[in-house]
Amino acid sequence: MKKSFIIATTAFAIVASSVATPVFADATENAIKARQSYYTLVGFNFGQLVAMAKGEAPYDAEAAKKAATNLQSLSTLDLLPLFPAGSDNVAQKGKTRATPKIWEDFAGVGKIVGDWQGAVSTLVSVAGDGQAALAPAVGAVGKQCGTCHETYRAKDF
Amino acid sequence: MDLHNNETAEAGQKARIPKSETSGLSVQETGFWAKVWDWPTRLFHWLLAGSVMVGWYLGEYRSFTTIDYHFYLGYFTAGLLVFRLIWGFFGPPPVRFRNFIPTGSALLAYTRRVFTRTPSLVAGHNPLGGLSVVAILVALAFQVITGFYAEDDALFASGPLMETVSSRAVLMANNLHHNGARVILILFGIHIAAILFYALWKRENLVLPMITGRKKIRTKQ
Repeated sequence: MKKSFIIATTAFAIVASSVATPVFADATENAIKARQSYYTLVGFNFGQLVAMAKGEAPYDAEAAKKAATNLQSLSTLDLLPLFPAGSDNVAQKGKTRATPKIWEDFAGVGKIVGDWQGAVSTLVSVAGDGQAALAPAVGAVGKQCGTCHETYRAKDF
Repeated sequence: MDLHNNETAEAGQKARIPKSETSGLSVQETGFWAKVWDWPTRLFHWLLAGSVMVGWYLGEYRSFTTIDYHFYLGYFTAGLLVFRLIWGFFGPPPVRFRNFIPTGSALLAYTRRVFTRTPSLVAGHNPLGGLSVVAILVALAFQVITGFYAEDDALFASGPLMETVSSRAVLMANNLHHNGARVILILFGIHIAAILFYALWKRENLVLPMITGRKKIRTKQ
């Protein structure tokens, strides 16, 4: 009785610990996954606005305002926790395209993020004013995306 | 000094020759003016030059509003390359691949004498020129193909075949398209440098034949 209890407890502990293991997964990898998910969200919302700006999707004032407002909410998040030291593409080869230049030039990244936030604010204010007003504001936001990608993101994993 | 003056006078004389269609005999080489480049090839050349230069610019300095034109020029360039491929088999002799893709020995022999200060007077591409044509056509074909699979996720713009391959392959295409642009820029630089080299050092105008179609060629090959 006693013996079987010990066996059962031990077996439970082994099973429980193996199930619980993912909770203690590498913090750096988690941060990389989180920031990639963050940019997926950004792309999801911005993509809808791009489609309308390009005329690939019909302009819908309500949908445009919603996507722009979501994008603005995302743009105000503090992104620093998503970029811990050592989560660059040299230290984490094959997992990220973020180059070490980000950490060497945080001020430069901050400048682009600031410009991006400004462009997103403008986008929110004109999103409901029709396709003609939306298009240039979308272009201004996209320009900041591109500038950051060109400078701080590797072309491949 | 005297030699230099002679050459300048000769260059001036040469420029008038195509009109009169008389033979232009230089001091060092005996040659005559002949129709070398057919009009479709000449038109192809200048359209290609224009579309590649403008296309390169629109790609390098792409924006949300102009990226579509980069795509259109890419398709146009693809069409031009298809024409050139066909023309390389069925066009007039000077533009056929079999007549200008150089052999190793021809390349070596020509490279040895390329720095002599006399016009090459070849009835078509000289071996180095033939090699450069192949390099340019291959590089541009490569660029068009990688462009079909490339994507710019900041502009939400992608090539027509991007969705047919994995995201990993798209990243590879982006990278190759990006580096391909640099290779093309280098080839363009070599092309211009070679034209200047022939004009200034070898006293041979290669631009005029690409406009008029007439080129001075050697009497005895």
